[in-house]
Amino acid sequence: MKSAHPFKILVVDDEPDLEPLVLQRMRRSIRGGEYTFVFAGNGIEALEVLSADPSIDMVLSDINMPRMDGLTLLEQIPQVSPDIRCVIVSAYGDMKNIRVAMNRGAFDFVTKPIDFEDLKVTIDRTLKHLQEWREALASRDKLVMLQNELDVASKMQKSILPTTFPRSPDYQMSARMQAARNVGGDFYDVMNLERGALGLAIADVSDKGVPAALFMMSCRTLLKGAAIGTGSPGPVLNEVNDLLQESNDAAMFVTALYAVYDPGTGTLTYANGGHNTPLLVHPDGSSEELALTDGIALAVVPGYEYEQASVTLSPGDAVVLYTDGVTEAMNEQAEEFGMERLIALFADGASTDPEEAIDGIFRAVNDFAGEAPQSDDITCLVFRRSENQA
Amino acid sequence: MDISSEVREHVLVANIGERIDGSNALDFQNALGALIDDSERDVILDFENLKYISSAGLRVILMTAKTVQRQGGRLMVCSLSESVREVFKISGFDRIIPVEDSQEDAIAATRS
Repeated sequence: MKSAHPFKILVVDDEPDLEPLVLQRMRRSIRGGEYTFVFAGNGIEALEVLSADPSIDMVLSDINMPRMDGLTLLEQIPQVSPDIRCVIVSAYGDMKNIRVAMNRGAFDFVTKPIDFEDLKVTIDRTLKHLQEWREALASRDKLVMLQNELDVASKMQKSILPTTFPRSPDYQMSARMQAARNVGGDFYDVMNLERGALGLAIADVSDKGVPAALFMMSCRTLLKGAAIGTGSPGPVLNEVNDLLQESNDAAMFVTALYAVYDPGTGTLTYANGGHNTPLLVHPDGSSEELALTDGIALAVVPGYEYEQASVTLSPGDAVVLYTDGVTEAMNEQAEEFGMERLIALFADGASTDPEEAIDGIFRAVNDFAGEAPQSDDITCLVFRRSENQA
Repeated sequence: MDISSEVREHVLVANIGERIDGSNALDFQNALGALIDDSERDVILDFENLKYISSAGLRVILMTAKTVQRQGGRLMVCSLSESVREVFKISGFDRIIPVEDSQEDAIAATRS
């Protein structure tokens, strides 16, 4: 049994002759740095030694001793040294005491007269088990620590998603993301631009987890920068696409839709980087998908030129931006929620007030999914031009 | 992930499973990586059995296509279900990776 430091074993026995015998018979292992021994004459002394010296790894104890016997000691040890391993020395064939000792948490037992070869095997097996146990505990602690860090990352990520939205007599909007795992790859954003224009973004990064989250953070920052600096949706996606190409060995990509709303004209201009086509919902509940602009997901083809298209919203028209987490949400029968159910929701009279629409969409998707696990982030943004224009 | 593969007319044809999402994308990446290791062949991914592919799966396809290209080959996909075809169309992947109707069409396309 090898380790960085010798294992420390406490031998508990009222027989004074045992100490020199153990030291003599185990001298090779002691000299070889495998173990060191400390001794106690009964259970009370043993507990004192254990509380004074937390570096003890293992206890080897006799059963019959004055003041406190070995079986009582077994009961007391967990309160002093919870992770220690105990081996009991019993009279040959004393199955009753051996059973009691095992039930009280002894790891193993040896019988008298002690066969030192057998004792060494037993000690080595006990210490090996202890070492594995400690490694498992360390891994568990590390896992808990990583989990905590992921929770922090997840909170940071959620905190960058806007939760209050610009309101104006001309329009209302709302958005929400429901993450599938701790750190997700979806995001949405809203930006106040020059001359009262409003920038709306929704995006879905390939894959989930930490790498996707980091990629998502840089996408979001680049998109915000480009939106404020560049203006029109096509050139904004061109810029973000080119910047994302740099150092992207993992072939991450992001589908994104970026739109600019001009309250002066009611025009929504948008460019699509491989993202799901937004749904335009009219006040009567009828709807249509916006015309495709044929863009490729961002960070895939360097120098790609993104097309943009425009649609003029009539008063009361709403635009629903969503990620595939909505349309590809699956129920327990592995059916997808699908575009049809999203369209039907509004056809059946769901409110197009952005907050109520978001509530309605999430309720519908979650009801549909039932107990089926959520495999992808679900994100949705609803923007509506006011019905009664000032 | 199980990928069965065969070499047909100097083209590596791999039959892909039913579903590629975040939970098995890494397995899929490793399995595909092992198949195309150091080959200079064209690669066809047959999606006959594929019912669902998430963006995590698309990322693996994209990485694989880049690897195959670096080694002087081409990567194509064939036999897409309607929903998988839709995913390729929306993401714009059908404009980067050739999509063929059947394995035969794909093999014919590698000859061109």
